[in-house]
Amino acid sequence: MDEYQLIKGIQQGDRKAFQVLVETYQRMVVNTCMGIVHNKVDAEDLAQDVFLEVFRTAENFRGDSKVSTWVYRIATNRSLNLIRKNKRKRFFQSIEETFSGGKNRGSEISDRRGDQPDQNITDQERSDLLHHAIDQLPEKQRIAFTLNKYEELPYQQIAEIMEISLASVESLIHRAKKNLQKQLYNCYKKRCV
Amino acid sequence: MKHDSIRKSLIFYLDNELSENEKAAVERHLEECADCRNFLVFLRKGMQVIEDEKKSEELPFFYTRLSAKLEEIAEPGGQSQWSRLAHPILFSLILALAVYGGLQLGSNASSFSVKQPAVSNIQMLDDFETEPIESFLLSNL
Ligand SMILES: [Zn+2]
Repeated sequence: MDEYQLIKGIQQGDRKAFQVLVETYQRMVVNTCMGIVHNKVDAEDLAQDVFLEVFRTAENFRGDSKVSTWVYRIATNRSLNLIRKNKRKRFFQSIEETFSGGKNRGSEISDRRGDQPDQNITDQERSDLLHHAIDQLPEKQRIAFTLNKYEELPYQQIAEIMEISLASVESLIHRAKKNLQKQLYNCYKKRCV
Repeated sequence: MKHDSIRKSLIFYLDNELSENEKAAVERHLEECADCRNFLVFLRKGMQVIEDEKKSEELPFFYTRLSAKLEEIAEPGGQSQWSRLAHPILFSLILALAVYGGLQLGSNASSFSVKQPAVSNIQMLDDFETEPIESFLLSNL
């Protein structure tokens, strides 16, 4: 059964077709969400919502893009919505903490100087560092970078998912890498982990 | 200067995105610059996090969970849909009644308080100033 037949089936309420679609794309959806939200539980919950939306909106799918492109688009939009929501929540939490005199957690990466050689950085610290760096990227750079790095998608498909030109994708990914490198370099210099 | 420009291209070196000439220049510099070598190791290990995350384990019960959610949605359950609908309707009814009641009370009361507005305005300003800003912000959430 090709993917358009799957969609046809889902449009007619065929649960079996839906199950095949979910099993085909679940890992890629969880990976994409994970690349953006960096939290396994959130990523899996998001992926569930993504497929519910796929099921709910399958009837609107016109077939002018690949099914995977459509599913990726839903996944990136939902992930962005979650991080925007979390950002707002953190903003109000920090206001609350400022006024109530609570401690201000400026950065999640502690700025512990000291002479730790690189070998002593734990896996957890390393992944916190990278996630923090990715989180600092502007949204579009973050999406393009995630789709390219986590999903290894070709630039052309990223352009279709994001509905931008190929040249824009190239430029976004180039800038994302430069920004990540800059942040990792600052941390390397300051021995922030 | 050369050191800086080489350092800034290391991430592209890692991703094998440099031309042959650029790549050779980076490698020549790496041989003589310990700082760039160390940073390259740091950078590679940092980016490796992504590769490790991609090798995530299976997703047990993913479809089972999803299927349960679908059932929940598909369930006709007239009762629960009604109560979900009724909540906002009931709430707006109560709100409308309260506002109407308040207006009625207000228009009745105004005849008694012709001389009072100036005083009560000042009190209101004072009240506002003593209210902690965070509770004001929170109450707006
Ligand atoms: Zn150097």
